[in-house]
Amino acid sequence: MTVLVVLTVLEVVALIAALAFYLFWVGTLLARIATNLEECAEIVRGIVADAALIGPGVEHINETGGVVAGALPLLYGMAEEIVADVTPRPEPPAVPEPARPASGTRRSRLLDAVGFSPRLFRTDGGASPSPAADLTDRAAAAARS
Amino acid sequence: MNSTEHTLWVSALIVGLVVLVAVAILLSLLIYLVKNIDRRVVTVRDTLKAAKANTADTVLIPQVAAGVDLVLAEGLQHHLFLGRVLGKVKS
Repeated sequence: MTVLVVLTVLEVVALIAALAFYLFWVGTLLARIATNLEECAEIVRGIVADAALIGPGVEHINETGGVVAGALPLLYGMAEEIVADVTPRPEPPAVPEPARPASGTRRSRLLDAVGFSPRLFRTDGGASPSPAADLTDRAAAAARS
Repeated sequence: MNSTEHTLWVSALIVGLVVLVAVAILLSLLIYLVKNIDRRVVTVRDTLKAAKANTADTVLIPQVAAGVDLVLAEGLQHHLFLGRVLGKVKS
């Protein structure tokens, strides 16, 4: 009888102690979670306040930028007109120069395509060597060697 | 106390012990879940701090808008100036 009573009391005390211990532990954890969630709520309010500036600001920038972009062609058109009006134009010569043909030897890309590069001689009396002068140079080089 | 009462008392003690063990197990599970929630909340808080740092520079947007307004005002001055000069050049 006494043993059963003692065991019963011990069991009840153990149950109450376990419940108290676990509830205290859970309460501590929940208090910490509540603190963290309050901090989260404060941060979210700050983010909302920051994000509230984005929409009107970007809309304002977009509107003003559109006006500036639309006005710039007008500005540089006026500037071009001013420059065209104030630039002095050279007077045309009294006697126009006669048209002269282009001089020189035209190169063919067909020769370049097959890897052949002929010596070109100027026909307008320039400084390019003539065939005879080229042969003379080659003979002098052979004599030196 | 007769034997039946003794048996019932012992049975009640055994049931109480089982209940005690079950309560301990369930409260341990509760502690595990609450700790998990605590870790996730800390992760959410850190993420929100990073997001706050990312959006902290949005206060510059109104200043940029004011700067663009100044550009527009300067462009209008240029327009007036070019209009005056163009009128003089053409005349």
